[in-house]
Amino acid sequence: MLEIKNLHVTVDGKEILKGIDLSIGAGEVHAIMGPNGSGKSTLSYVLAGRDGYEVTQGSILFKGEDLTAKNVEERAAAGIFLALQYPIEVPGVTTMTFLKTAVNAIRVARGEGELDAVRFLKLVREKAKPLNVTDEMLKRALNVGFSGGEKKRAEILQMALLDPSLCVLDETDSGLDIDALKVVSDGVNMLRSPERSMIVITHYQRLLDHIVPDRVHVLSGGRIVKSGDKELALELEKSGYADYAADAA
Amino acid sequence: MTMAARNMKTGIAERRLIEEAGAPGFAHAGWFDKARLAALDSFEAAGLPHRRLEDWRYTDLRQILEKRLARVEENSGRSDAPAGLLDAVDAYVALIGADGVEGDFSALPEGAEIMRLGDVLDEGWVRDAMDASVFGNTDAPQAAAIIDLNTALLGGGVAIHIAHGVVLEKPIHLAFSGNGTRHLRSVIVLEEGASACIIESHQAGANAFSDLVSDIRLTRNASLTRIRIQNDDRSAIHLASDRIVLGEGAVLDGFLMTLGAAVSRNQSFVRFTGEGARATVNGVYALRGSQHGDHFCLTDHAVPGCESVTLYKGVLDEAATGIFQGRVLVRPDAQKTDGRQANHALLLSREATMNAKPELEIYADDVQCAHGSTVGELDRDAVFYLRSRGLDEASARQLLISAFLDEVFEAVTHEGVRDILRVIASEWFIQERGRHHE
Ligand SMILES: Nc1ncnc2c1ncn2[C@@H]1O[C@H](COP(=O)(O)OP(=O)(O)O)[C@@H](O)[C@H]1O
Ligand SMILES: [Mg+2]
Repeated sequence: MLEIKNLHVTVDGKEILKGIDLSIGAGEVHAIMGPNGSGKSTLSYVLAGRDGYEVTQGSILFKGEDLTAKNVEERAAAGIFLALQYPIEVPGVTTMTFLKTAVNAIRVARGEGELDAVRFLKLVREKAKPLNVTDEMLKRALNVGFSGGEKKRAEILQMALLDPSLCVLDETDSGLDIDALKVVSDGVNMLRSPERSMIVITHYQRLLDHIVPDRVHVLSGGRIVKSGDKELALELEKSGYADYAADAA
Repeated sequence: MTMAARNMKTGIAERRLIEEAGAPGFAHAGWFDKARLAALDSFEAAGLPHRRLEDWRYTDLRQILEKRLARVEENSGRSDAPAGLLDAVDAYVALIGADGVEGDFSALPEGAEIMRLGDVLDEGWVRDAMDASVFGNTDAPQAAAIIDLNTALLGGGVAIHIAHGVVLEKPIHLAFSGNGTRHLRSVIVLEEGASACIIESHQAGANAFSDLVSDIRLTRNASLTRIRIQNDDRSAIHLASDRIVLGEGAVLDGFLMTLGAAVSRNQSFVRFTGEGARATVNGVYALRGSQHGDHFCLTDHAVPGCESVTLYKGVLDEAATGIFQGRVLVRPDAQKTDGRQANHALLLSREATMNAKPELEIYADDVQCAHGSTVGELDRDAVFYLRSRGLDEASARQLLISAFLDEVFEAVTHEGVRDILRVIASEWFIQERGRHHE
């Protein structure tokens, strides 16, 4: 699904990622953990294709194709979905209007044709229900005045509607209380399938109690310094990142 | 005495305008002949406004007209959307050309009249409405002076009278089109308790020079919704001044959308003469290429207890220039005034320019007034966010532009027209970008 080789990324002239190798098979869930500032969000933005993140060395293959040749919306159509650490507020655009525009843009790009209003509404209701996203929320401007939990649930709803093949979840657990964490992780788990891969970025182990990963990687100082199975996350919970931060420096 | 026969000391642009206007065809009311000559004298003495006058700092009309009269511009096109979409609005349509007013007004209810201005010039209500003395001590004499040009060279126009207590259910649509130079006046009078909605569409052709003045009187408790869409050819010059007087308890709900013309200047002079009146003077401008759009708004609170809201929002692409000069004047007697004024602009390109000068001038102490002005760019994070959900860049930008403008559309009370304005706005960016990249 995703093949990252020796990836170096520079932001504003500063090298943030310093040679990442990562291979994710179809249906696999990989967790990326690491201290603040280690480059986790940077990796997620590079995958999404955000401006200002310059790949200076290495390659990213997605479904066998060079991902870096595609722009942001082409990557979305190809199946990359990034759930943001800090979802952006968009005043004046209702969540419903935004969802409909996004779903139809992606469907058209994938050659599936637009959904009419009735079928779209049915689809939204079906996906919104398990995430506790109410009609009232859908009428509000996108993310404007949403609580931390509402923002994250709205992100997962978008993910469910856009049907991606690689989900990148950047600190989806941050700012969530235990109940909200449960709703969000259940939503994510429902989307797990043999065709869909996931990168779950988190600072804490607790999210991984709910979304159990196949592999865990520790990112520090722009490099993957250790990889293992889900036990690695438990180990980190005990020992913290101190050892790895020292390694990186 | 004809206009051309006068001995003129003025510049090339002024002389050309006067010669082009020739002897005005319609007006031979005694009072107006005098007013016309007086206006011509003061126009000749002052000349066209230029940038050394503070009110014209950003729009040097003398230079613009001098340049324009020296050469003929190519037809630079415009969006056809507004004209086509407005056809769908059920209204009494009056076509306003250089030489008359056309339309079938037989269906108008008793007490509502649409007439050629020249036919009713001698009527008291027309004369009163055109009487500038109510604005005699206007605080913006430099801006108001350009109205002399219109009075001096007036060639036609429309007069609308809505009698005491008459409520017009359907809007009146004044459709301005045509080419060449036109000096037109609209006189709109709503008597006590009358209510109407008047839509104006402007679709002047290539190189047109439209010089328009509207004299509007809202008598006690009258209520007027006025929606204008200016979509002249992008080689045209559009000059429009509104003098609006609101009596006790009157309500004005005004909206202007500036889309067209190479150079446009809209001036709104709103004056409260009775307590408890309310005026909304809102606008949206969407300009590109080298378009230049100037919006000048003076709201004069001369009496207590009135409320005014001015909210303008604009998007400027390519090398377009937007100007907003606003002033809320609260005179010493005007206690309990509520006056708000704001202009917010989005620059879509590095070459675009916005000049904003909102001012409050307050001489009363018990008032609530606020003004604001912002100039920004599209939020790049939001553009990325929308693109990461599959929208292409143009669609993402368009969605954010529409969202930015929507606050002003939201305040438009005619639902049908509000929807049309939203469609025009939602297509403006993509349509034009598409056209430019063909
Ligand atoms: N726009 C930027 N310009 C310069 N440095 C940045 C920028 N964004 C992030 N960084 C730096 O890149 C490093 C990695 O940041 P980030 O990827 O956000 O880390 P994480 O998500 O792991 O906390 C940090 O040192 C941060 O300060
Ligand atoms: Mg981060």
